Amino acid sequence: MLVSRSGQDGKEDGMSEIALHSVEGKACAERAEKLFQQSLAENYRNTDQLFEKVLLLQWLACIVLALLMSAQTWIGESSQITIHVWAALLLGGAITISPVWMIRVWPGARSTRYVVSIAQMLMSALLIGLTGGRIETHFHVFGSLVILSFYRDWRVLIPATIVVGLDHFLRGIYWPYTVYGVLNASPWRSFEHAGWVVFENVFLAIACLRSVQEIRAVAKRTAALEASERASRLIFEQAPIGMIALGLDEKFLRVNERFCQMVGYSEEELLQLKAEHITAPEDIEPARKLAQGLIDGAARFTSDKRYVRKNGQPLWVSRTACLMRDSEGNPNHFLLMVEDISERKRSEAELRDAKEDADRANHAKSEFLSRMSHELRTPLNAVLGFGQLLERQNPTDTQRTRIRYIISAGRHLLNLINEVLDISRIEAGNLQLSLEPVAVAEVLHEALDLMRPMASERDIELSVSTQLDSSCYVSADRQRLKQVLLNLMTNAVKYTPRAGKVNLSDEFNGGQIRLIITDTGAGIPVEKLSRLFTPFDRLGAEHSGVEGTGLGLALCQRLAHAMGGTLGVKSSAGNGSTFWVELPLTESPLDRLAGQIREAQERQHIVEERKILYIEDNLSNLTLIEQLLIDEPAVHLITAMQGQLGLDLARQHLPDLILLDLHLPDLPGWEVLARLQKDKLTAGIPVVVISADATARQIERLLTAGARSYLTKPIDMSEFLRVVAQTKASPNTGEVCAAA
Amino acid sequence: MQKFNRPFLLTAVLGTTWLASVAFGMRVLLNYDNTPGCVAAVPIKFPAQSALFAATDRPTLVMLAHPRCPCTRASVGELAQIMAELQGQVKAYVVFAKPADSGADWNDTELWRSVAEIPGVTPVGDDDGRESRRFGAETSGHTLLFAANGRLLFSGGITQSRGHAGGNAGESAIVSLVKNQRAARAQTPVFGCSLVGAGRMEKKTVCLK
Repeated sequence: MLVSRSGQDGKEDGMSEIALHSVEGKACAERAEKLFQQSLAENYRNTDQLFEKVLLLQWLACIVLALLMSAQTWIGESSQITIHVWAALLLGGAITISPVWMIRVWPGARSTRYVVSIAQMLMSALLIGLTGGRIETHFHVFGSLVILSFYRDWRVLIPATIVVGLDHFLRGIYWPYTVYGVLNASPWRSFEHAGWVVFENVFLAIACLRSVQEIRAVAKRTAALEASERASRLIFEQAPIGMIALGLDEKFLRVNERFCQMVGYSEEELLQLKAEHITAPEDIEPARKLAQGLIDGAARFTSDKRYVRKNGQPLWVSRTACLMRDSEGNPNHFLLMVEDISERKRSEAELRDAKEDADRANHAKSEFLSRMSHELRTPLNAVLGFGQLLERQNPTDTQRTRIRYIISAGRHLLNLINEVLDISRIEAGNLQLSLEPVAVAEVLHEALDLMRPMASERDIELSVSTQLDSSCYVSADRQRLKQVLLNLMTNAVKYTPRAGKVNLSDEFNGGQIRLIITDTGAGIPVEKLSRLFTPFDRLGAEHSGVEGTGLGLALCQRLAHAMGGTLGVKSSAGNGSTFWVELPLTESPLDRLAGQIREAQERQHIVEERKILYIEDNLSNLTLIEQLLIDEPAVHLITAMQGQLGLDLARQHLPDLILLDLHLPDLPGWEVLARLQKDKLTAGIPVVVISADATARQIERLLTAGARSYLTKPIDMSEFLRVVAQTKASPNTGEVCAAA
Repeated sequence: MQKFNRPFLLTAVLGTTWLASVAFGMRVLLNYDNTPGCVAAVPIKFPAQSALFAATDRPTLVMLAHPRCPCTRASVGELAQIMAELQGQVKAYVVFAKPADSGADWNDTELWRSVAEIPGVTPVGDDDGRESRRFGAETSGHTLLFAANGRLLFSGGITQSRGHAGGNAGESAIVSLVKNQRAARAQTPVFGCSLVGAGRMEKKTVCLK
């Protein structure tokens, strides 16, 4: 049984009451009454059986006593059997036979115990007579009353007392000296003698009543325990999950029907097994460690585990287990609740498979978009190129208008493709960023310069309230930062009515700088802000006549995150909008590398005449390299800030060495490299890649594509000069150099 | 609890019969226990022919007993109490009757040995019951108390019924008389076995029924 039986009486009574009134109420009370009656009846029968033996024993004792004390009576020299022997045999038998017969026929009956009571007291009288009225034999009366109280029925004392009283009363009248030792006894002597019997009976009756109360209390407790146990058993057996009582030796002590259904074994079969017999081999040891943890003091554990069904199929379950201890706190058995999670595991596996499928699909989509991008760009190049040529060939006004439509549509399509591609790359985790120190003021002013014509055209006042100088650097991808700022400023200008204002400001916050674009436009309702960064959701602007794809802000937010920053907005309808991008500040590379530059210049000088083309969009990096090579008269440095321009300059000047950045505004660096390799004029020119992307995959990719060396930013000047001095038009060495 | 299915009348009859038969048996037993034995003519003075020596400085007590009578154990027990209380104020004999044709071991009984252990009491064998006849005793346990001058002071039993130990009128009378006090009774019934066989009783024998 799993219900503890320990506890004090008071607590048990309390528990009894609770159980009686709450668990089964009336049924429990009826059960208690039935148990009480059963207990009484059993006690009556047991006491009857006791008296059967006592009466027979007393009869035998009477005979033995008579034989020992006065077997013969003498008349001179002759003797004969004394009447005491006959009295013991016959009278004792008459006294005994009747109650013994009733005990046999009606054990436990009330009349039986009353006859027993009378017989027992008659036996006392007989014994007293046989022993010659010895005072010691009178104790048999009191002893008999005590034994009669074993019935726990005070009423049996009444006939016993009546017999004693009558015996004393009658003998007091007819044979007073046999009772009182005097020939003339006062009638009050009978009352006195009977009084002592009554005195004892009073206390015996109290003891009987108390005993009956205890029996009733025990019956109540038993009924309550039965009810509690029945409730526990019902919970255990009818629980919708598997329930197991497991011994410390891992043997199943008890299981419910649900668990049997789970594993496919019958209860009888499981009770012959140990847990390990139906556990997947790889889960046996972990399960034992968890069980040991419970024994060592852990309150409970929940874990997944595999059972093996009877048909050999695996069964995934989630188990919650605790350790049941006995009243002394010693480990007794484990109680486990087992839930079938096979379906969940199957769903998880399907979900995992689905995710992998989705990843593959996403990858395929990215591949598709990448290929489509290339395929779309090529005809777009022709459309836009020839459109621009047509515009220069003095078209008529009508033709010019049509040409402008063609060019505008082509550019819109190009932007759309670029943004879709960028978002796709970001979501696929394939966006290549070149995080490096970027001069904020420089990028900001470039973006402002680009935006001024558009703002002027729309009569928007574009103001700047920032004191940024050239020493403020952030860690970012220069092109992407510029893209974000342009996008935010373009939106501000586009969605601000004519004669409105757009302001650019900044805030420093710890190690961050916040670039803020504020406009006086219509603002965005608060309830729509949550959809602001959802791709293709223009919040209803598609009906406003303002051109857009709905991808710009989504792209800006993802780019800001990718660069380790954040992008936020504060707006409400009719109050304009404030967008900001926040990025981490970083140290100026010029300051950090100034010492290295001087040291490198002192150590090594390039003697041989060299013509070097540096294709880089970041002005800081260009300045850095220019400063580094300023004392190298043998070196003639040509720079290009765009990929296409770099290709043109390469074909025009055929430099001895090309330094190539990978993140260029118009073309990716790897494409520039590919075109250089493809062109016969430039194929032999060694290309050294300078990039912040130092991943092994990227380096391997570029070296395989034909780069001679790969220098990582920040640039180690000594290494840079060594590479510049030694790299000549020779076979690819696959050299990789990284800054210290 | 089992129900009763038997007729009440039958139960009452059977119960009454049982009780009546038991009561009858008890009555027979009590009658037997409380019926005194026979007593012959008792001498008013200490018999001169007796082989016993009467004391002249104190009373002399003579108990006539059957050495094998189980009822006399109670009388001997009472005698022991009398001797303990009187502490040498009386000279006592217990005369055990021995039939003429009985064997040599007739008196070799537990009763004889228990009498011998009582201080101040002398057990004496009585061949052919001569002393019993001299003292007029027919029933075992018959006790006589003679004064220092030989006069009979008390005659009777010192138990209240057959073999019934405990305080009794005979015992109280003897103690009082030895202590020169008034005794409530000078005679009491004697309860015990017959000292002589049937047909040998004296003519003056009185048997109380």
